[in-house]
Amino acid sequence: MNGDFLALLPKAQFPQATVNVGPDRLRAGAASPFLGPAPEPLQATTVFAFHCKAGVVIAGDHRATAGNVVFSDRTEKILELDSHSLMAIAGVPATAFEMARTLQTSFEFYRRSQLQPMSLPAKIRALSQLLRNNIPATIQGFGVVAPIFAGVETNEPDAQPQIYFYDPLGAQFEATHYAGSGSGSGSIKSVLSFLERWGEPKPAEMPLDQAVVLANRLLMTAAEFDTATGGVHPEKQQYATIRLVSRQGIQAVSTEAQAGMWKEAHD
Amino acid sequence: MTEEPYRWLEAIGNRREYITEQMKGGTPVFALSRPEGILLVGVGQGQSKVFEIYDRHAFAALGHPVDIERMRQAAIEAAHLEGFNRSPKDVTLRRLISFSLSTTLKTSFEQIFSPPFIIESIFAEVGNKCAHDVLVRVHYDGNHHYETSGVMVASPDRKREDEAAAWLRQVVKSGDTLNEAIGLCLTAWQALVDSKPFAEIKRPDTLPTAIPGRTVEAALLDRSRSGPVQYRTLELN
Repeated sequence: MNGDFLALLPKAQFPQATVNVGPDRLRAGAASPFLGPAPEPLQATTVFAFHCKAGVVIAGDHRATAGNVVFSDRTEKILELDSHSLMAIAGVPATAFEMARTLQTSFEFYRRSQLQPMSLPAKIRALSQLLRNNIPATIQGFGVVAPIFAGVETNEPDAQPQIYFYDPLGAQFEATHYAGSGSGSGSIKSVLSFLERWGEPKPAEMPLDQAVVLANRLLMTAAEFDTATGGVHPEKQQYATIRLVSRQGIQAVSTEAQAGMWKEAHD
Repeated sequence: MTEEPYRWLEAIGNRREYITEQMKGGTPVFALSRPEGILLVGVGQGQSKVFEIYDRHAFAALGHPVDIERMRQAAIEAAHLEGFNRSPKDVTLRRLISFSLSTTLKTSFEQIFSPPFIIESIFAEVGNKCAHDVLVRVHYDGNHHYETSGVMVASPDRKREDEAAAWLRQVVKSGDTLNEAIGLCLTAWQALVDSKPFAEIKRPDTLPTAIPGRTVEAALLDRSRSGPVQYRTLELN
């Protein structure tokens, strides 16, 4: 009766969402004779979040790759966890989607069973816990996930939305201005860092329409240098996946709305 | 004792008496299938009687607060496990009641050495339109029935409960607003609590919006709500 959905799964004999870490498992994973050295973390994607005037803008491209093959150019990487929090996934989709699904159910389960919403720090820690439970797969190299989390505390009327990013082992860091994850995020973080110092206006001062145009431009820039980033082509009416997190909750910025903002900025 | 059938029957009879006695102070709860969604109304003194279970599911009950809580947790756990393991669309009231909740209630009622649930409840599942709504009246012994008329009342006294439901079916019009529907539920609530015969009660011109000294709770499984969660509590005015 403690509102913990993950504790319920083994009790009901359902397979658990992610592997539980025991010392034996951990050792077995690290010393597996079949795998050799762990491969490079697979993070072929680009997701990022930054603060703007209206709240937190979180954006992602649409490309999923397997090696040098484009697996899909229609992937949704920004996943809403509940009405006031979401995560952007970078890494192995199988694990990342499962983590998102587990968190969605966990947050709703907690809210309904405990008759109060889960606090933001608890949500942040819940994702960290899933990453920690996933350490064996991370060490073996086939289940690396490095997500970004954005949310707003619902229990405090004046709370502002926050951005957190994670390393694949589960450490969480708050991003004061922006966060990025995935193979294309390097160039995006460079541009955002530049804009935070010398931009006029700085991303944090931008209204929503400017922030949305910036997010699309950033993804197109990242796609110039990273084959695993793609699916954003304004000329083909293909835009990024963009969500705004604010006190009012999560707002999706539709393709039509983005097209309007893009046209406004480029005409 | 259990190897002697007649004593077992006697024990079960005693249990019914005990539960009926315990339920006496309980006040009714209501569920109405409306064009906007399913409306649930309860009147409490501090503790809640109307709860969200899952995306399209809600529950209203009267009885012992601890048993209401046990039932609520059982329903929430079963629904979330099913929704997680398959999909939220696979969580249906029919399966929830038949395979999980009513068996729990029946077992608990018939195991005469352990305490029974002291609870009378209504479970609701909202559909795309009124005709697809599901309302189930679940009794303390696991017995349950589905209601197709769109009006359901749960009360300690089954005869009075049926009278109240019949009255509501008569007076609630399809064009009534949610506030009017709540007002009519409160009128029926007052009549049940005061043991007034329903034949004497006409639809009042000014409908009550509150019960003095009590908290009126109303929630809607909102058909028109975008997103998965359709339950919302209603502010009364």
